[in-house]
Amino acid sequence: MKANWKLFTGLSIFYILMAVVYYFVGGEAVGITGMILASCLAGMVGFYLWFTQKRIGFDIPSDNLEAEIADDAGELGFYSPHSWWPLPVALSATAMGLGLIIGWWLTLISLGALVISIIGMVTEYEKPVSISSH
Amino acid sequence: MTTFAERPTIAAPRQGVHKTSRGSQFVKTITSTDHKRIGYLYLATSFAWFLIGGLLALLLRIELTRPGMQFWSNEQYNQLFTMHGTIMLLMFATPLFVGFANVIMPLQIGAADVAFPRLNMLSYWLYAFGSIEATIGFLTPGGAASFGWTAYAPLANSTYSPGIGGDLWVMGLAISGLGTILGGVNFITTIFTMRAPGMTMFRMSIFSWNVLLTSILVLLAFPPLAAALLGLESDRLFGTHIFDPANGGAMLWQHLFWFFGHPEVYILALPFFGIATEILPVFSRKPIFGYKGLIAATIAISALSVAVWAHHMFASGKVLLPFFSFMTFLIGVPTGVKFFNWIGTMWRGHVTFETPMLWVMGFLVTFLFGGLTGIILASPPLDFAVSASYFVVAHFHYVLFGTVVFAMFAGFYFWWPKFTGRMLNERLGKIHFWTLFFGFHTTFLIQHWLGIKGFPRRYADYLATDGFTGMNMISTVGSFLLALSMIPFFVNVWITRKSPKVEVDDPWGYGASLEWATSCPPPRHNFTSMPRIRSERPAFDLHHPHIKTEGH
Repeated sequence: MKANWKLFTGLSIFYILMAVVYYFVGGEAVGITGMILASCLAGMVGFYLWFTQKRIGFDIPSDNLEAEIADDAGELGFYSPHSWWPLPVALSATAMGLGLIIGWWLTLISLGALVISIIGMVTEYEKPVSISSH
Repeated sequence: MTTFAERPTIAAPRQGVHKTSRGSQFVKTITSTDHKRIGYLYLATSFAWFLIGGLLALLLRIELTRPGMQFWSNEQYNQLFTMHGTIMLLMFATPLFVGFANVIMPLQIGAADVAFPRLNMLSYWLYAFGSIEATIGFLTPGGAASFGWTAYAPLANSTYSPGIGGDLWVMGLAISGLGTILGGVNFITTIFTMRAPGMTMFRMSIFSWNVLLTSILVLLAFPPLAAALLGLESDRLFGTHIFDPANGGAMLWQHLFWFFGHPEVYILALPFFGIATEILPVFSRKPIFGYKGLIAATIAISALSVAVWAHHMFASGKVLLPFFSFMTFLIGVPTGVKFFNWIGTMWRGHVTFETPMLWVMGFLVTFLFGGLTGIILASPPLDFAVSASYFVVAHFHYVLFGTVVFAMFAGFYFWWPKFTGRMLNERLGKIHFWTLFFGFHTTFLIQHWLGIKGFPRRYADYLATDGFTGMNMISTVGSFLLALSMIPFFVNVWITRKSPKVEVDDPWGYGASLEWATSCPPPRHNFTSMPRIRSERPAFDLHHPHIKTEGH
């Protein structure tokens, strides 16, 4: 999986290089800032991927050229079968933006709704340990 | 046979009887966390926006047919072209990428779903509600936003564009952009962590690679857009002076907007290049020519695309012409490499012209025209002559319509059996293609000459003595032909809705990537069994074991 962090790190280096070139040929501030921030973003992801790989090792089945499908057998993880929560989260986020335009009362109400629905979405599968099946 | 290994069941099927009433189907859809169902939602919604945006385009064209104002006021005309551009770019083409990526990419990498299924649904809802919010301005007394989809400062501030329509546009796009960013995060994580055993990065299909790099561009491009939009809204609502021309705000907006806007063009192009690259080898009966070269070209495009934004601002007189002109010519090189590889794939292959291949041919021809005029526009002296004229309009319609719409229909005809389990009708597909092809080229080819003769874009009217009338009439006739070409498509979808089910995994016979190794349509978690992956063509290796694919 070396390709992953190399891709992001390579992009990060390229963007910073472009920022330097752009600075020296007389570029303006917005573009330089934009390219430096782009480089930071790619660099951050690249670093995280490199760091994680170092921690978990390089021999996962999806990077093994000779892997069999059975190498990944076992539980893949938990998949939500269906969920009501994304709908209220998006609805209240939209209403919050709308509230800025048509009145603060709507922003306040939908801010409350947004907090509740985010908590709902995040904790949807949080259950007491004793009855957890996964 | 040891080709198969049992894939473990991830979640037991939901208990109880299968409910098929309309109400339960509706609930199942709006609460879905299935990447395919969410993908279909994305595809259907963005196609609906395509029809709305197309309708607005027809309303523009009827006004331009003859000199004089026949149907709309200037303000209404401005609203129409603003919303046409916004809808086509941000409510049709961008989510169309998310739709195709959602349905196809997890299948191609052998994943059971995307990494964050609920986040996927949240992205969809943010896109759906944000798009409605941005467009609902048409129903307000002042009408929708009318400052062009580029919303240049100071035109977009509350002095020059008062009214709630502009505010709705800004906030709606901010919300829908948030959904796009979350979608990008989801795809990158899925590709990095959920590939099947043996599906190394350099065995992934080109489409999946392009989805990965498009998602990276989404992460780079959409945050500047969100920042710019929220700054603009703060100017409009609270009277801040972020984009006040007195502080250089006009240029600040242009830089921020195009720092988003140019990568956005590649966000729209790359996934559709990917669709074309999936289809060409299947109907050429050959592996992709230069697999790694194509990936390198895509990476080069993603890298260079953050350094070319100011070529949209040549005429402002405030950007570094040599730098941006050079970078723009440079980004033409990897695009040329792609063309080379596409032609190399067909070269000496057994090319057959089923409908998907026909659409890819349409894409190659149309996009090539757009690319060639792009080289003209990349040169500042030539750009000055035709900037903000219909030449530019023709150029970007060739680029965007050429990639997005042609490759979209190519993808629809190609993957329709995978989506629905039924083939679309070939004859109607060909009628659809040729009507659309001639409609499109009649509409837009003439606009190059219209622009060279001096007709500026975004003007609602012209004089009879300008000599634009004849060319505008041809263009309008073409646009109606283009609109009519949707009819064979709808007829096709309708008459094939009950046609016999596809019984095999790969109805085209030479499918290469992993989606052709599962049933049509695939089960809930995509695979009941999976072939061993030893090349970038696992499904081809499975169905044609006597032909050895060169491994990468």
